[in-house]
Amino acid sequence: MPYYLRVLRVVGAIEFKAKYAGAALGYVWSVAKPLAYFGVLWLVFAHLLRTANQTHDFTIFLLVGILLYTFFVDTVGAMLPSIVTGGSILRRLAFPPILIPLSASVGIAITFCANMTALAVFIAIQKVTPRLEWVFVPALLAELCIFCVGIGLLVAALYVRFRDVVQIWELTAQLLFFASAIFYPIGILPAWAQKVAFLNPFVQVMQDVRHAVLGGPSGPNDVTAATVYGGAAGRLIPILIAGLVFLGALAFFRREGRYFAERV
Amino acid sequence: MAPAIEVAGVSKSFRIPHEQRTYFKEYFLHPFRRTTYERNDALQDVTFSVEAGEFFGIFGPNGSGKSTLLRILAGIYVPESGLVRVSGLLSPFIELGVGFNLELTARDNIRINSTLAGLSRRQLDEKFDQILAFSELERFVDQKLKNYSSGMLMRLAYSIAIQIPFDVLLLDEVLAVGDEGFQEKCFRTFDSFKEEGKTVVLVTHALDLLSRFCDRVLLLEQGVIGAIGSPEDVVEAYREGALVG
Repeated sequence: MPYYLRVLRVVGAIEFKAKYAGAALGYVWSVAKPLAYFGVLWLVFAHLLRTANQTHDFTIFLLVGILLYTFFVDTVGAMLPSIVTGGSILRRLAFPPILIPLSASVGIAITFCANMTALAVFIAIQKVTPRLEWVFVPALLAELCIFCVGIGLLVAALYVRFRDVVQIWELTAQLLFFASAIFYPIGILPAWAQKVAFLNPFVQVMQDVRHAVLGGPSGPNDVTAATVYGGAAGRLIPILIAGLVFLGALAFFRREGRYFAERV
Repeated sequence: MAPAIEVAGVSKSFRIPHEQRTYFKEYFLHPFRRTTYERNDALQDVTFSVEAGEFFGIFGPNGSGKSTLLRILAGIYVPESGLVRVSGLLSPFIELGVGFNLELTARDNIRINSTLAGLSRRQLDEKFDQILAFSELERFVDQKLKNYSSGMLMRLAYSIAIQIPFDVLLLDEVLAVGDEGFQEKCFRTFDSFKEEGKTVVLVTHALDLLSRFCDRVLLLEQGVIGAIGSPEDVVEAYREGALVG
């Protein structure tokens, strides 16, 4: 375990530094990107289309959605090509191959933490009343991490065999952006669509974070897995899916990983 | 003393498809076409052992399975059948230039390689200067490796391999591109490994290296052990085989 952490720290830090080495603004880009997204969507939906009227605290609502979506998509996007592009070191040294995609995701996690500070600033500006439920947020983020890493490991291992995986993932990520209630309240979807959407642990985490941060007695943030599937047991459905995806992906990655050195 | 390396009945084959399918399209366009494979038996039922402290040579023509065998010893490839047991810490030097990130500097590559090989932060700090000093690349430490020559890459890779604490050292075609000065320097390290009682496995084409350093040599021919014994006997066996064949 200390070996894993040491590798992640050293390799993650080096890759993070290298990624922005040639850029004039360097690291600023990684934070600027989701905030720019946010700015555009906020302008369109809060001012031009007035969705904001249906959603109190639309700013925070939107920012939470975009930051979590960026984290999800960027993590998977960084892990996906990692074995193919960085796997040649597996031909030199025997070490657990899982370290390659995990190292690739370290930079995304650092960026995400920086982005969370931006969220904290907005929460302070908007004078959101602190709530006890905020303590659940770290646990929810942990669940999201597990889900992201699961998907990331799966696509990274598949990419070694099938080069289509990049295109499929890019399309999926685009569709998810529009289907996942990131910039609109999920309550406007028909009931069956909500049931489908909440099968995705990302949607559940996003809604639960919104609910925890903003609360609100009858707002759109009240739509959670519990209300959609009826009853507290329904909460478990997406969490279970996240866990199964992670374990399944881990098993698949382990099996495939024995042969990465021959295939990359 | 227990052997440092035990290899029992190891076989390895690679399936080389006649046409590579890496896109789904190829499956949709020709759903019923079976991919045909060429089977390449890289190693067949290889059995030998290396004593602790032995300087062991592996020798054979191109494509005879030497590098595959070394990768199996290093745990990089999984053998199809058979058992491999290596006791003690192992450090591989395998295939020139593979495994470096050419977009990163030598400094970063040294840190990544040593950390993956298991060095702690303190060990790395200790070893970093030694690695650099041995490779004589101090002036180029902050250059990206894409600007390195193959000789410089070899120096760096060899320096990392021997500075990582090890009991068993695996060397694949180490000196192919080094200049004479560095070659001599490497030979001196060979001598000191022998004195320290380290186990070394050396894959090479150079017959003079076999007789100069190796206690025993394994001759590999088309994935099968052709001979195993003292350097003189094995080289003789190889020459006879080459003449007859």
